[in-house]
Amino acid sequence: MFDSSAHANPTRNRNRLQLALYLAFCVAIFAVPLFIDDDFLLNRYARYLVLGMVAMALSLSWGYAGILNLGQALSFGLGSYAMAMTLKLKTVPIHTGPDGLPDFMVWNNVETLPWFWVPYQSTAFAIFAGVAVPWALAAILGWFMFRGRITGVFVAIITLAILVVANLLVIDQQRYTGGFNGITDLAQLEILGLEFDAYSKSTYFLVASCLSVCLLGALAITRSKAGLIFQAIRDQEERVRFFGYDVAAYKIMAMSISAAIAGLAGMLYTVVMEFASPTFMDVPLSLSIVIWCAVGGRQSLLGATIGAIVVAGMQGALSESETFLDTWMLVMGLIFVLVVLFLPNGLAGLLDMAGRRLMRRPGALAGGPAPAKGLSGQKAKDQT
Amino acid sequence: MDFLLQNVLTGLSIGSILLLIALGLAIIYGSMGVINMAHGEFVMLGAYGTWALNAFFGMGLLSSLVVVFFGVGLLGWLVERGVIQFLYRRPLDTILATWGIGVMLQQIVRLTVGGELRYVEMPHALTGTISILGTEISSYRVFVFVFVVALFLLTWYLMNRTRFGMQLRAVVQNSEMSACFGIDPKRIYGLTFAYGAGLAGLAGALVAPLKSVSPEMGTSYVIDAFFVVVLGGVQSIFGTVASAFLLGEATGTLGFLWNDTIAKALVLVGIIVLIRFRPQGLFVSKVRG
Amino acid sequence: MTEHLHIEGLGVEFNGFKAVNDLNLSVAQGELRCLIGPNGAGKTTTLDLICGKTRPMHGSIRYRGREIARLPEFQIARAGIGRKFQVPSVFRQLTVRENLEVAHCKHISVYTNILRSGRSAESDGLEKLAAFVDLSDYFEAPASVLSHGQTQWLEIALLLAQDSELILLDEPAAGMTHQETQKTADICNRLKGKHTIIVVEHDMGFVRQIAQVVSVMHQGTLLMEGTVEEISRDQRVREVYLGSTLGI
Repeated sequence: MFDSSAHANPTRNRNRLQLALYLAFCVAIFAVPLFIDDDFLLNRYARYLVLGMVAMALSLSWGYAGILNLGQALSFGLGSYAMAMTLKLKTVPIHTGPDGLPDFMVWNNVETLPWFWVPYQSTAFAIFAGVAVPWALAAILGWFMFRGRITGVFVAIITLAILVVANLLVIDQQRYTGGFNGITDLAQLEILGLEFDAYSKSTYFLVASCLSVCLLGALAITRSKAGLIFQAIRDQEERVRFFGYDVAAYKIMAMSISAAIAGLAGMLYTVVMEFASPTFMDVPLSLSIVIWCAVGGRQSLLGATIGAIVVAGMQGALSESETFLDTWMLVMGLIFVLVVLFLPNGLAGLLDMAGRRLMRRPGALAGGPAPAKGLSGQKAKDQT
Repeated sequence: MDFLLQNVLTGLSIGSILLLIALGLAIIYGSMGVINMAHGEFVMLGAYGTWALNAFFGMGLLSSLVVVFFGVGLLGWLVERGVIQFLYRRPLDTILATWGIGVMLQQIVRLTVGGELRYVEMPHALTGTISILGTEISSYRVFVFVFVVALFLLTWYLMNRTRFGMQLRAVVQNSEMSACFGIDPKRIYGLTFAYGAGLAGLAGALVAPLKSVSPEMGTSYVIDAFFVVVLGGVQSIFGTVASAFLLGEATGTLGFLWNDTIAKALVLVGIIVLIRFRPQGLFVSKVRG
Repeated sequence: MTEHLHIEGLGVEFNGFKAVNDLNLSVAQGELRCLIGPNGAGKTTTLDLICGKTRPMHGSIRYRGREIARLPEFQIARAGIGRKFQVPSVFRQLTVRENLEVAHCKHISVYTNILRSGRSAESDGLEKLAAFVDLSDYFEAPASVLSHGQTQWLEIALLLAQDSELILLDEPAAGMTHQETQKTADICNRLKGKHTIIVVEHDMGFVRQIAQVVSVMHQGTLLMEGTVEEISRDQRVREVYLGSTLGI
């Protein structure tokens, strides 16, 4: 079955194929504006790419390290608010009070800019904070949970509860957060003289670059020694501990990297959507992220990314009508249940299996066309 | 003194609702180890069931309780047979699958009944207030409290003094062995899940007059219920009671000092910290594991 | 032979039940020690205590003269103690080579490992290890395709990759066919002298094949020590095992 003479080194071949697929995906998303010259559509596609990015981040912590973070939307929302805060402070005076105070604060009788808003007058700080705050929060939460050997379902519920708490607080503290309405009427992002209009190629390319860098970076992490150990922890946490590894440190690392990528995605989302809202850090979004990741394939970074793009894209196409959208969510719920039951590794796992079968068939060309074979980063499905 | 009593009573009322919602989850999670994320949706369906029975058949709240219990219970049985029985070895996937079922139930309600808020009337006899030691309290809340206590005692009796309860405990300990003694684990699990779901339905029916009924009302209930169960100590039904009232009092008091949102946030954070240091729950002694 | 592991007055209770009670045990460098005893004698708990899975309440465990009784598991593992659990635990979704890579890694910090390639340059050594337990043909195969016996051998290879000087094996032959048991005994015999090994085992046939000195535990404490012949003749051991199926 594993005849080593037929393929000199199957693992190495798989890895090369996998890298080729990832690169092809990156080239493809950069090529999109060559064929589409509609800024409205590009804005939409940029949005889906951002959602792909946050699903990819979840795949890293859930699919690879086995940490089911149901509060992934929290990191996303924190990034989104960080960007919105700085863009709000830079917006045109119509939307601010006399001293450049955001309009919603004026309406709520806030007289001076709160201390935690002050540093956001610097865009550089905001960009730093948009990644660093989710990263630090995840690291603290991870330290708190994993040092206490909290695992499995408890991690899922605790992360979900933290998300609920944060969402409640953001809505409750309307004076400082804009409450239900979120933060709207923002300036355009400007970095080093480059303007990023939400409806322009420049923003699309910004998103595509960030996604490509994060995707390839995450792939590199999964292929590092630490990535191998993440997967080992996912399979048998105790065993890894008795090899002398500090398991908690690894899990904290996986969770905080994932949160940092989600934070970056959140920032881009604000740029693309031109506002931030509590719905960017609520339970339904977190659920959607999990669904995208599960449908695309939790153990494949690219699978999760494409899963999010396709599912969110279809949802976007149907969102013209509310009934359609509700029906769509019903269908999504069903698909999700079916995927969890019968296809734990999602579509990527399915393609991986199909590719494997193709390779094993007698007469198949070695290294021949097996389009999806390397899509999943994982080596084989657990048969049990 | 007066507001202290007022506070204690508010806490008892919140606690009784928490217990009502948590009791079903305690049975399901405590005995089967399944976290049913659709639990909140079962509560929601109970509330809608009561509303529908009233709107279409003119049934009062009290008479609809029986229908709601069996209706939601049947749904729970179907969910266990159709989905959950395949996932007993994959606890994380159970969370996901039941979450997906929750989404479906929400959408079905949205598509059929609509997303707008619905209101359920209290039974006429219970709309007044009762004076307890000079403090006025809604008689409906007193009714809920008494009902929950009765329901709890019934559940305790069912789990500890009946043949079914004994079989359930046997199956939980060792399902293969129990099967050898002629107990059908599938039947026991199905019925247990149905009972837990039925309790959630009752909770929804009783909560309906106190809160507005909407498709998404269940979302936060499942988190509350889960934490009540874990804090009390899984498999300790008395622990569930104690923690429900403890959390009720904490929420009531903090809500009085600040506001309800802050209270809720603080209580959730507090529970998380407690779980971190006492994962076995507050009211259970540590066992070898 | 120098003393490698020294246990003194070791004890732990679970809810008042004394699982291990005032246990004294000493194992020399390079020795293969078998630990036997009836069910509930505290054999597995003793291994748990040595590797840090369970915290002792009393007593000391000295490994190469160093007190390890209260160190966290990962530090005990780094000190050179490897443990194979009763239920075979390998990483089923990783290949045999990747399994060995995880066990073999000399650097344990997450910060350095995130910058290092998952494929180490010295996979020669790993291939030799796979050959040692007869898994060469499965080197690039996922561990999930291995049979029960092969999984057990892979786990032993993992302990060797980890470079443990002291190896704790909990029922390595459990659930194996006769041939597989033979092969496991053979692996253990080849390791004698190079590693210090403690084996907990029920199968007396297996114990006879590998044992030098056997320690018999009963009710959490050491009943007697000796060669297989000595303990088979001992009256107390016979009483302890009376009615059990052990073929002494």
